Amino acid sequence: MSLLFRKPTIFNAKNVLLRQNDVQILLLTSKNFSAVPTIYDGESDPAPKFFSSNVQVLLKRLTRPDFNKVFRKRTNSGFPVLKTPQYKFLTTEQLEAEVAKSRARADQLLQMPPVVKVQTHIKEVLSRDPALIGFDTAKYMFTDITLGVDNQHRIIMERDTDGVLQSCDPDVRKRLNQIYFPIKGRKIKEPVMFTDPERFNSLLDREQYEFVLDRACIQYEPDEPSYQKITSVAYQHVDSRKNYGLLRSTRHFGPLTFYLTWHLSMEGLLLELLQNNVIREAVLLVALRQEVHGDVANGSAAQGLVAEIMNTPIQLSKPESLTEEDIQLDTKCIDCIEQYISANSSMKSQQELALQGFREFYQQLIDLSRGVRKAHGNA
Amino acid sequence: MSLPPASGTGRYFARAAKSIRLIRHGCTNRPFYHISVTHRRRLNSQPVIEQLGSYDPVPNMYNEKLVALNLERIKFWLGQGAHVSKPAAEVLGLSGFFPIHPHSYMTAWRNRQAEREKLAKEQEAQKAEEAK
Repeated sequence: MSLLFRKPTIFNAKNVLLRQNDVQILLLTSKNFSAVPTIYDGESDPAPKFFSSNVQVLLKRLTRPDFNKVFRKRTNSGFPVLKTPQYKFLTTEQLEAEVAKSRARADQLLQMPPVVKVQTHIKEVLSRDPALIGFDTAKYMFTDITLGVDNQHRIIMERDTDGVLQSCDPDVRKRLNQIYFPIKGRKIKEPVMFTDPERFNSLLDREQYEFVLDRACIQYEPDEPSYQKITSVAYQHVDSRKNYGLLRSTRHFGPLTFYLTWHLSMEGLLLELLQNNVIREAVLLVALRQEVHGDVANGSAAQGLVAEIMNTPIQLSKPESLTEEDIQLDTKCIDCIEQYISANSSMKSQQELALQGFREFYQQLIDLSRGVRKAHGNA
Repeated sequence: MSLPPASGTGRYFARAAKSIRLIRHGCTNRPFYHISVTHRRRLNSQPVIEQLGSYDPVPNMYNEKLVALNLERIKFWLGQGAHVSKPAAEVLGLSGFFPIHPHSYMTAWRNRQAEREKLAKEQEAQKAEEAK
């Protein structure tokens, strides 16, 4: 499916509606934002791409995990009394062990919601018994509550009023599963914030992306059409406002990047990376596009740089000083991005400008660090 | 008040006859049934051996009657030679676990008959009105 939302002002919503008449569309519009909800329903399945180890590594790195944000205090719902922090003297080994522990914990917190194709439902009829017509005016829903069966494989059947015994629709299944085996935080009825476009838009306008996406994760399964529609609109909103920073260091950044790359609309993100002087992540993004679509002119060069970039630490702030290896790597990155912009980019002028800005900034940085080294007598 | 465990609190005698029944819980004008296994000679008000499911005979807002069945445990108790009461057999029959109980067919047939008679009466009444 083609996605057409790069510049919201250009699109006439009616045109988009006409092109996508196979998908039931809830068009979300507000003052200066309009988006068409999309689902992964095309012929190609995103799951093998998303779960491939190369893509996972790139997405995790692009998330740029900052422990200050990952472990920030969110709510105190689980803790009636806030704990006082503990201060300890640790040996180096103990400190390393603690850091490794929190790294593992951060990995857990940053686990990405899976990106999969939308579900297909096949109705299975077990028996047709016309002699039961008129038995009752209500349907009977049968749920097998045997212990140790997961929600996907639980037997849930309905006996219709016309005597047909058959499997249920996915939304009914979900409701019955939630009745007998409730998931904490999930509601039996869809929350109004998802069903009422006005409230949903108001949340997006207030930039409560993380709240929306977290709640969508709890409320829906990743292969449900409603989940994919809601998240796609949120991602488009993030993209249109360039609010990528709000989702960085959260588990939603990976799916956001994958969504934008899948629909070939990651130019805004690339521009943001260039403007914030993280050229290495820009190369990772190009490599991601090459992994997903394989249509980048110098894709193999970008993929070659990935291994080198992965060995360097994550850039959370402006680097203090540059070693010669850093300078070499970044020069290669600049070349790679330059080629990408000239061959593949759909936002050429802006990105070229940003790249030029980065070059000047970087030259200053190089001069500074070389000068400092010279002053120390190491050059 | 905490609910009794699904494993039941009733005393268990291995060789006594068991029966799988619908046991009415809920309150006045609001029936709700537990599908439980208990000794055949025990009253419904007495503690059961094990609860095997539930049946809500009042349709919900989607016009559905909800039945939960722990099929694994039902199979176990049937293997132990438990008897099944008629209403329980009807519910299990509708679920496709048992063959449909003859009484279900009777009810369906009677309901259809009543419907037909009602329709015929209405038609007669209409004709009578038109003749006037």
